[in-house]
Amino acid sequence: MAANQVLPSKEQTLFRHVVQNYESKQYKKGLKAAEQILRKHPNHGDTQAMKALILSSQGKSEEAFELCKLALKNAMKSQVCWHVYGLLYRGQRNYEEALKAYRFALRLDPDSSQIQRDLAMLQVQMRDYEGYVQSRRTMLQARPQHRQNWTALAIALQMSGDLAGAEDVLQKYEESMRQTPNRNDMEHAEAVLYKNTIIAERGEMERALEHVDSVAKMALDKTAVMEMRAQYLLALDRNDGAVEAYTKLLRRNPEHREYYEGLEKAMGLDRSKTEDHQKLGEMYHGWAEQSDRVDAPRRLPLDFKTGDAFRQHADKYLRRMLKKGVPSTFANLKQLYSDPEKKETIRELVEGYLSEQPQANGGAERSEPNGSADGSHATKSKAQDSATTWELSVNYFLAQHYDYHLSRDLSKARKYIDRAIELKPSETDYTYHMTRARVLKHAGNVTEASKAMNEAMEMDLKDRYINTKCAKYQLRNNQHDDAVATMGLFTRKEAVGGPLGDLLDMQCVWYITEDGEAYLRQGNLGLALKRFKAVFDVFVTWEDDQFDFHSFSLRKGMVRAYVDMLRWEDRLREHPFFTRAALSAIGVYCLLFDQPQLAKGGAANGEGAEGAAERKKAAKKAKREAEKAEAERKAAAAKKATPAKKDEDGEVKKEDADPQGVELLKTAGEKPLEEAMKWVEPLLEMSPRSVEGQFAGFEVYIRRKKYLPALKCLLAVYSTDPEHPKCHEQGCRLRLALEKLDESLPEKVKQIIESEFLQKFIPKGSVEENNEEYLAKHKDSALHVHGVVRVRQALHPDGSGGVKEKSAQDLQQTLGSEGTNLTQAEEGLRLLNEGLGADGKAREAYVAKARERWPEAAVFRVS
Amino acid sequence: MDIRVLRPSDIPHVQQTNITNLPENYFCKYYLYHALSWPQLSYVAVDVSRPKKTPYDAPKIVGYVLAKMEEDPADGVQHGHITSLSVMRTHRRLGLAEKLMRQSQRAMFETYGAVYVSLHVRVSNIAALALYRDTLGFKVGDTEAKYYADGEDAFSMRMDLDYLRNEALDEESEEEDTVGKDEGGEVGSAGKAGDGVDGPKKKEKKRKVRVGRQLGVGELVERNESSKPTLTNGTA
Repeated sequence: MAANQVLPSKEQTLFRHVVQNYESKQYKKGLKAAEQILRKHPNHGDTQAMKALILSSQGKSEEAFELCKLALKNAMKSQVCWHVYGLLYRGQRNYEEALKAYRFALRLDPDSSQIQRDLAMLQVQMRDYEGYVQSRRTMLQARPQHRQNWTALAIALQMSGDLAGAEDVLQKYEESMRQTPNRNDMEHAEAVLYKNTIIAERGEMERALEHVDSVAKMALDKTAVMEMRAQYLLALDRNDGAVEAYTKLLRRNPEHREYYEGLEKAMGLDRSKTEDHQKLGEMYHGWAEQSDRVDAPRRLPLDFKTGDAFRQHADKYLRRMLKKGVPSTFANLKQLYSDPEKKETIRELVEGYLSEQPQANGGAERSEPNGSADGSHATKSKAQDSATTWELSVNYFLAQHYDYHLSRDLSKARKYIDRAIELKPSETDYTYHMTRARVLKHAGNVTEASKAMNEAMEMDLKDRYINTKCAKYQLRNNQHDDAVATMGLFTRKEAVGGPLGDLLDMQCVWYITEDGEAYLRQGNLGLALKRFKAVFDVFVTWEDDQFDFHSFSLRKGMVRAYVDMLRWEDRLREHPFFTRAALSAIGVYCLLFDQPQLAKGGAANGEGAEGAAERKKAAKKAKREAEKAEAERKAAAAKKATPAKKDEDGEVKKEDADPQGVELLKTAGEKPLEEAMKWVEPLLEMSPRSVEGQFAGFEVYIRRKKYLPALKCLLAVYSTDPEHPKCHEQGCRLRLALEKLDESLPEKVKQIIESEFLQKFIPKGSVEENNEEYLAKHKDSALHVHGVVRVRQALHPDGSGGVKEKSAQDLQQTLGSEGTNLTQAEEGLRLLNEGLGADGKAREAYVAKARERWPEAAVFRVS
Repeated sequence: MDIRVLRPSDIPHVQQTNITNLPENYFCKYYLYHALSWPQLSYVAVDVSRPKKTPYDAPKIVGYVLAKMEEDPADGVQHGHITSLSVMRTHRRLGLAEKLMRQSQRAMFETYGAVYVSLHVRVSNIAALALYRDTLGFKVGDTEAKYYADGEDAFSMRMDLDYLRNEALDEESEEEDTVGKDEGGEVGSAGKAGDGVDGPKKKEKKRKVRVGRQLGVGELVERNESSKPTLTNGTA
């Protein structure tokens, strides 16, 4: 260390105070002390670094970085400075740079356990397992007396793929133990089970079973031990033992499906074999007999039973549930609707129950002979009560049946739900009103649906579930202000940024996403992007959340749960929450690329002549909102003689400098495709089997003229679902793009395209010919026709060759096809407006025809 | 409905179920804190009857119980605590709350030797109070003034886990096995003696809940050592 960097003893003491103050979060004190040192020794690097660290903890990260750089200039060889430099980067989530800085610090001070530790935490966070194993070995060598260090090395080895090494490390520690651990030693009990999971992961079931048997008595997680045993026994075909093991597990938890699956396998029963159904039925019957409250063994046989056996069982099950008035009965059965015969049977049964009503509770009781005795003793009002419950349940079930997309008949659905409401179950039970709103929504009547849901909410203002539903329906009807106000009935009053601020804080992903989608529907791209970005940020936070657990979990000793978490975090972004926001966001970026003027505040969603007016209205509204927000901000700033608003814990909340997303939109407009890639990459990596994801990837790659990646996306779908209408559309568009290339592609690329794409999937003939042939084959399917229309647009962007008229005609045709649903009809209208810029007449004709079929749908109503 | 232990991958939907049903909400990290500290105690009810929409459908959580062990219990008696429990309105009358609670309670008893389990409920939440008291067998203890962030009071409730000892004994005699939880006896009666007396730890508990909600785990979980450089050794 340079001579001028050595402090006199008085200052050394002060410096230690700075560090202590920082650690105990006494930032003001720490700063004061640091400044005191710096007055005498203005170039003391370590002090500057510590000051920088304190500054960054106070949220002044720019200042902190600057000071730390200065510190490094003054003390290039100080591990403190480099360590702090790393910490500052880590604070900014710039892990690459942080890693470099830590490495540098460690080189300067190889024995520092703190730096080594911080480095290790970063390595595991970044999944640099090679480096992590190395760090963990060093740490173990330094302190072999701590069990944590052995376990940590084992985890590092396991995650790096070296299972044998991991087991070996755990084994060595166990052998080195001098005394048997206490029976309440959680860390030991858990480490032993962890070792067992590694043996099993190595595929050595026999040994895993032996091991788990040998440790079962001292294990504290009894359920886990029983489950492990059962799995191993099953894997080893020791069926008698497995039957016994699963039976024991089911006695503890008769609602866990996995146990039944295990039991079936252990009994050698196969649902796909009719000859096994008898035995399966008996097995489930046995479990159902065990308790009157258990559901799984009653419900499960409906999955495999067929024909008359199904009818009988369904009858019994339905009567039981409807009599009890279980509101989730339909939700619990709708999975069966993928089998048309079962769907029909259920409908027949439940419609049959309607006619049983007049005999009070007779219908309900028929399946249970003993029930009638009860019935005769019951008071009349009780009988009436159960008759009402029955009638209510039956009507409610039928309403849901006819609302469900596989059995939809909305006028019937409405009839049944109105009947249910007439029965007036109670003043506060909003269940039926809620379903009424849902039926309206499915009819496309988002306005009435929102009103109806609001009525439902008002029946029970203290219930957050209905409050949530109401807000969702308001967003579907683009009522942002109302939705925020609704949510505000339950958010924390003290939250910074009002209800929305609380929802963002509390990572309420569904709301943020719906809010963004509603803005997108109205063409407010700035706010739409802002919401999608907020979802993106929630995922960043969730990824970051694991950081503290890398050390915490080792101390707690709950290793299996920790490994489970690591694996979950590895595929965090395959979550549908992410995919949904990603698809919408990518759509916005593509739109911004196609129509750059939109980034300058113009609204999207042009809708012909009316669209223009709509757009103006939206733009005006956005402007008004921006002005209002600005005024509010000014007012708030004026009020702010008091310091910035603080959270309860004193954390300063930064004010949102861009509440309307104006700046965000501007930046996005500058490089929309680069921004899109931030979503595309995780989407394709984490959810490669999502066809929607692959299509979105294609849209971005083809705009970036990255033809091979675009092809890769396309082929991913071709390989699993070649008949998907998007395959035709995107395939044609890719061909067109390739035909129109200014520069020819490298030979290798051409070959790949030829052999993997053109020869394999593309029929002879020009794109135009293919497209029209495709139409002829699929003219009854709206989705296919939409694809054809998009290809025509790509072929004739200027609308030459009468494609506009042809397309308008074909689109209108789809409205008559039985299979066309409301969503598809809406998409057709969007195509007509956006792509074709169709004239008023074609649009009117389309809307008029659509209105005949969906009379209530808001989108087809002339405003 | 499938009843099983909560896994980290369930957390986004558990969080959604929580914020859909209840006014007390938590960060993802707070759920992780439970799942990684007491991974045996929290359970979920999953709607397994939903037709699959994508290859990546996440399990739809219709009910959950988020539970923990009280760290350093003021009365010196090992006990569990229910941080949060809720069931979607659409999935009522299936007994899910009870089924979730029973699984959690057994794990508290088996894994951690819990003697009783405690929880708080808003004084205005008659339905929840009835559920805990009448269906689940909890007893009402003290009222904790201004327990909730909005100033509402809470009933402190608790339930002895004695019944699990008997169940465990039955199971064991069935197996002719004597893996006893012998130390449970004393602690159990000690817990009984203190039944309903919940005074001294009131303050501390209240603070914990708030901190958890505001700060997430980093601050709540012991101490967040990874973010602080203990530089003293290096420079001395």
